Amino acid sequence: MVQVVFEKVSKAYGDTVAIPGLDLMIESGEFVSLLGPSGCGKSTTLRMLAGLEQPTSGNIRIGDRDVVNLAPAARDIAMVFQSYALYPHMTVAENICYPLKKRGVAKADRAIKLAEVAALLQLEPLLARKPGQLSGGQQQRVALGRALVREPSVFLLDEPLSNLDASLRAHMRAELIELHRRLGKTMVYVTHDQLEAMTMSSRIAVMRAGELQQFAPPDEIYNRPANVFVAGFIGTPAMALADGSLADGGGHLVVHVGPLAVALPYAAAARPAAVTVGIRPEDVLVGEGPWQAQVRLVEPTGYETIVALDAGGLALTARVPGSKALRVGETVPFDLRRERIHLFDKSDGRRWKPAGR
Amino acid sequence: MPDIALQRSGLSRERRDALLGLLLIAPTVLVLGAVIVYPLLSAIALSFQSVYTPTLEGHWVGLANYRELLGSGGFWAALLTTAIWTVGTLTLQILIGVAMALLLHQNIIFRSLARSLVLFPYFLSTVVAVLVWRWLFNDLYGIVNHGLMAAGIIDAPVNWLGAMPNAMLSIMVVGAWKFFPFVVIAVLARLQTIPEALYEAARIDGAGPISRFFDVTLPQLREVLTIVILLRTVWDFKEFDLIYLMTGGGPVNGTRTLPLIVYQQAFGLNQMGMAAAYAVSMMLVMLVFMLAYLQRARKAAA
Ligand SMILES: Nc1ncnc2c1ncn2[C@@H]1O[C@H](COP(=O)(O)OP(=O)(O)OP(=O)(O)O)[C@@H](O)[C@H]1O
Ligand SMILES: [Mg+2]
Repeated sequence: MVQVVFEKVSKAYGDTVAIPGLDLMIESGEFVSLLGPSGCGKSTTLRMLAGLEQPTSGNIRIGDRDVVNLAPAARDIAMVFQSYALYPHMTVAENICYPLKKRGVAKADRAIKLAEVAALLQLEPLLARKPGQLSGGQQQRVALGRALVREPSVFLLDEPLSNLDASLRAHMRAELIELHRRLGKTMVYVTHDQLEAMTMSSRIAVMRAGELQQFAPPDEIYNRPANVFVAGFIGTPAMALADGSLADGGGHLVVHVGPLAVALPYAAAARPAAVTVGIRPEDVLVGEGPWQAQVRLVEPTGYETIVALDAGGLALTARVPGSKALRVGETVPFDLRRERIHLFDKSDGRRWKPAGR
Repeated sequence: MPDIALQRSGLSRERRDALLGLLLIAPTVLVLGAVIVYPLLSAIALSFQSVYTPTLEGHWVGLANYRELLGSGGFWAALLTTAIWTVGTLTLQILIGVAMALLLHQNIIFRSLARSLVLFPYFLSTVVAVLVWRWLFNDLYGIVNHGLMAAGIIDAPVNWLGAMPNAMLSIMVVGAWKFFPFVVIAVLARLQTIPEALYEAARIDGAGPISRFFDVTLPQLREVLTIVILLRTVWDFKEFDLIYLMTGGGPVNGTRTLPLIVYQQAFGLNQMGMAAAYAVSMMLVMLVFMLAYLQRARKAAA
């Protein structure tokens, strides 16, 4: 069942167009991340869904209702803010119950709901405190509680973890995944942290300058990026991207990139004139192979070592297991996982694949 | 070697630092002593004497001034008048000030112009303001009576400054007009620090505009309003020039507040000692508010 629909939604602030035209369909129960660089319009999209921002044109539907003209409170949504936005003079209990109170829920029923939510989020010992007396992670949980207590059909979260330190963020990430699994509610999650998006989402909407680049499950985004932007944006260290060309090598396709001529394990009759070639670091195999590259930079991270290579003018990045003793300036042989090389049509930046593959 | 020099001087480093500290605060202490402590002490000393103002000659009378003051109805009546004036004008100041601050906080056109205009009464000299207001309130050719009559609210000119309770109401209004900008500035500054996300959260939680004011805005203004009220209480309590120039304390003693009695005793009746006794009593009343303010300020700082 479709839960949230954006139909040709655009948003302009005066002369600046934040969102030129967005089409997006979110299924019921999905965990969708809006991911993209700063200023790409993630928050704007979420805020239009929440009703805090009015679209310039287009339609937004939640469930089977058109919501563009509905007030935020009438949209059956709840939102968690980056700053948590807890009411500072109210206790944790009062904060959580506030949306119920404003909806005229009776006091006894509020207490029942509060107890449920407090148990779910382990907030019982904190109920009498004010937000100022809580740690960042606790405030985060109270903000979640205030959203949960109303049982909305859609949860909106705008970078809810970005004010937490790294370990707490990892912990809250796991808690959110667990929460989503238990509630089965639709969640729309804004982040610029690809790790968060990759680990939590059922689908990721990658945005750039207000335009949707790709909307797909995390593994597809990673393994089959729809265009050069997504390819370069997703993955750390980033995919190496370089201009190249395609030629027919007699029964198989040959990619010419830098000084390399890489024979691919497939053929193609029609092919674009010029391509952008993308090679992920894990697809560069250092140690043996037909080509030579010079080591430019070695970054040991413990579990693996990130190595920047220069193969005759072609810049590549490789992940080498362990902390291999590579020296800067040294020349090493390498190979590529040829079937995993990404090709993008240079004329429009879109992913190119030969017919039939 | 500084250490050797230190040892030779026979002073430890700490002693020397302490001495230097004393030296550095000495000018401040002296100035404060000269302009605050000395006048205060001499006022207290004066209040135990009977002094003839023109010659400033007098003799010790002990507690006689205070006994007379507390025994006379004048003191208590003036204290009540002062309290009425303070509460009345302060209430108006707060209501107008908060309303105006909320208005200016919205995105209205000419906002910056409006913000500067609002400050105008505060910067206007009291004498000028009072002259203008006396004209406005004039019972024969004042625009207030003219406007009210034209609007059909009153049939005959009202004597705004020469009758009670009109005179009290009039000075309260002028006081509110003169001092509400202070409230506006303080409240507006605080309003601008309230995170927008709180209002957005409240909207999503189902709070209408009135709920948002009482549940988000007002609690955030509590601290600043407490401070503003304490400060303005003290300032309104001792307000002299505005009342003196508007009504001179009249009609009869209708608007005679404590500061006006002090002036009357000192320069009308030439009884400097008695005036000092009134002033000291007034100070004791204000001390209560000052202490409350200091405690608030310390709590806010902590
Ligand atoms: N109130 C506003 N007035 C004018 N321009 C705005 C306003 N809000 C956002 N914008 C512009 O709209 C674009 C999208 O902003 P938005 O806040 O949605 O970005 P974002 O993807 O959430 O970025 P970030 O990751 O930094 O939060 C930006 O170019 C921004 O400058
Ligand atoms: Mg944002």
